[in-house]
Amino acid sequence: MRNYVLRRLLLFVPTLIGMSILTFGVSNLTPGDPAFAFASRLANRPATADEVAEARKDLGLEGGLVPRYFRWAGRAAQGDLGISFSTRLPVRPELVQRARYTLQLAIPAAVLSVLIAIPVGVISAVRRGRFSDQVLRIVTLAGASVPSFWLALMLIVVVAVKLSWVPSAGRGGAVSYILPVLTLSAAPAAVLARFTRSALLETMTSDYVVTARAKGAREAVVVGRHALRNALVPLVTAIGTSFAALIGGAAVVETVFVWPGVGRLLVEAIGQRDYPVIAGVVLYSGAVFAVMSLVVDLLYAVIDPRIRLADEQ
Amino acid sequence: MSYFRKIGVVVVFSLLATACGGGDGDGGTPESGQPAVNQELRVGAGEDQYVREGTSANLGVQPVNANIAETLTYLSPTYEVRPLLAERWEFRAPNTWRFFLRPNVKFHDGQPLNAQAVKTTLFDRVAQQRGGGTIKAGPNSAVVVDDLTIDFTPTAPNYRVPEQVVHPSNVVYAPGSDAGNRPVGTGPFRFVEYQPKERLVVERNPDYWGTKAKLSRITFRFFPEANARRLALEAGDVDVAFGISGPDVKGLRSRGFEVATSPVGSYQAMYANIRGGPPHDLLQDPAIRLAINLGIDRKQLVEGVLEGQATADQTMIPPDALGRYKSKINGFPFDQARARTTLDNAGWRPGPDGIREKNGRKLTLQLISGFGGAEVHKPVPAYLQSQLRNIGIGIDIVERPDSASYQSLIDSGSGDLFLERGSQNDANVGFLPTLLFYTGGSGASAQYTKLFAPGPRFDQILAPAVTEPDADKTQSIVADAMHQLIDVDMVVIPLAGLFQIYGLKKNVQGFTPHPSLISLRWDNVSLGSNR
Repeated sequence: MRNYVLRRLLLFVPTLIGMSILTFGVSNLTPGDPAFAFASRLANRPATADEVAEARKDLGLEGGLVPRYFRWAGRAAQGDLGISFSTRLPVRPELVQRARYTLQLAIPAAVLSVLIAIPVGVISAVRRGRFSDQVLRIVTLAGASVPSFWLALMLIVVVAVKLSWVPSAGRGGAVSYILPVLTLSAAPAAVLARFTRSALLETMTSDYVVTARAKGAREAVVVGRHALRNALVPLVTAIGTSFAALIGGAAVVETVFVWPGVGRLLVEAIGQRDYPVIAGVVLYSGAVFAVMSLVVDLLYAVIDPRIRLADEQ
Repeated sequence: MSYFRKIGVVVVFSLLATACGGGDGDGGTPESGQPAVNQELRVGAGEDQYVREGTSANLGVQPVNANIAETLTYLSPTYEVRPLLAERWEFRAPNTWRFFLRPNVKFHDGQPLNAQAVKTTLFDRVAQQRGGGTIKAGPNSAVVVDDLTIDFTPTAPNYRVPEQVVHPSNVVYAPGSDAGNRPVGTGPFRFVEYQPKERLVVERNPDYWGTKAKLSRITFRFFPEANARRLALEAGDVDVAFGISGPDVKGLRSRGFEVATSPVGSYQAMYANIRGGPPHDLLQDPAIRLAINLGIDRKQLVEGVLEGQATADQTMIPPDALGRYKSKINGFPFDQARARTTLDNAGWRPGPDGIREKNGRKLTLQLISGFGGAEVHKPVPAYLQSQLRNIGIGIDIVERPDSASYQSLIDSGSGDLFLERGSQNDANVGFLPTLLFYTGGSGASAQYTKLFAPGPRFDQILAPAVTEPDADKTQSIVADAMHQLIDVDMVVIPLAGLFQIYGLKKNVQGFTPHPSLISLRWDNVSLGSNR
């Protein structure tokens, strides 16, 4: 297990290097001059050629793409992600702070989505073909299809404006979490519920489930201990991916609810051509997915003792 | 139906009925005139774009001006220059401005405002920026004459200094203060707290040199998304919301909110690429530019598309900034018959699909929309497309999601018509034409003049404005130049004059909407009762 984990951790390095090269290259090739964007924003009008030249020097944009990448990569390897073009502050502390804010939404949203998805998926599978199953399938389809932007605004209109139950946006007390967490959890809950239903339907036709029923086990035991347990393996993968996406930041939800998380940071950075921030956020997201993927793989072995990790075989 | 299903249906329908009910607007009942005990105002502003480091650090100054720091002069809502930290000023030939500072003014930390502070934190600071900023400050430009008198000599002839220092980029800070993290100024409000991307909090300065602010505290909350900002007002989470769009005005008023509109301070216009190479060389033909001007119903644009929240001004520069000379700019009537005749006479004949052709070439133009983001301009491009189709001009709309990608098309000259919005944020009436269209000096934007410079006649008319010390004469010269630009050369095709639109709860009193958002003042604002 330890060797397996170490090997996987070592694999992070080339993965992150590859992602950084891709990000650096693509963001530098997108239309729009960050020096012009920065200088114009400062001046509050289109910048003059002199101002753009000054900004290019200030932002370290002189020189070719390759030397600039290696300069950045060398510093990034030491934990220095550079200086934001827009705020002129170091990227790493801001990224850490924003990631914390994102986690404040992502963790409750992930927990809520699982708490909703598994019971809904189980009910839907157990009552397959009945009215409740059809209703739940329609609801989960809607949940998976509805754009988060629309859902966010509708929740604000109904719950905050019309009913005045919660604030419309912004970080504050516990009530300020309600709308953004609901919005964030809707799509993952819907997708996971459908996934749970499918996985459970598959395991419920297995021989061991038939045997358990034949031996007189109660239906709750058949579903809970036998069928659901074996459906957990693919479900954990889906939960892990969903959680990683949430931690990566949901730009739309964070923008509408004025939540200063990583997703919003990325959108702002792209609009301002803030290359150091873009690269930093992408590295962060890549690391999150890589770690989550490792955690999911380790959980497999816990859930299903038949699964052995590579070095244990 | 099972018991639980019935309960569920009842709950859902109850919620829907409550939500859909014509809820009372939260604008509050008309204020009773009595001030509220709680004088803490909450403002829904746009995105937090403060710069936190370097000589351009501007926390609390722009684009959201929290009145922490002040300038030597102030831009009134009607584009007049008024004294602020400078009581008066005079021009001393050949190129020096002498400012006489207001006595007995203190910074929030107790330091006195004096000429040395102005030299260090304004002129020397701006001198470190490339070109010395718009005021053209150099390292030796500022000279302290006495404690309350300072001379400023720009590095190049600049007769517009008092009109330029109104801009918040030219505020005066307390010496030694940190403009990017804890700004200290002389304003009616002082810094309390800043949470990046979330809020900026200021409180009343009890030692303010002028009329003390009525509000005890202002919290500026940053809402990047315009709908969320408006909804925050409707939900009662803010008392004032910036940047209300025209289509939302009626709805807000019907729900009990006030909507305050400023005088015109911005414009929406198309710039014609008259210097492009093929395939973007069609607009070199003045007949086509004339036809476009005649073919757009600006009245319908303002009343229908923009829902009355604009004017059909064709001056580009706000009329108040041009003063009594605004009538020098005529603009164009809406006359599609004349537009068609103009194109016919120029050899452009309608093709089978209604789009005109000449020598096998279709009269189809690319309209680039993206300055500030394409969303900001919708649905104007579609309106223009339908209007110009009526006279046989095809419009291909190219949208860009943000200013940076829009700018790349300016850089490459890939477009025929460029849709933009511009704002006048200081009293230098010649600023915009000099920046965008004038090739006679070094302060122009090379990317813009490459496509849109009208040419020597325009430069010749505008040139004296750069060296004219008299502000009234400058207005006249600039008006002549704008006449050349708009009426004769037709490089700029103005569409509308735009207001700043602010949404307010009914109990917000004393709010004066300013056409330049960055010059908004809060010292007269208060809250009545019935919040």
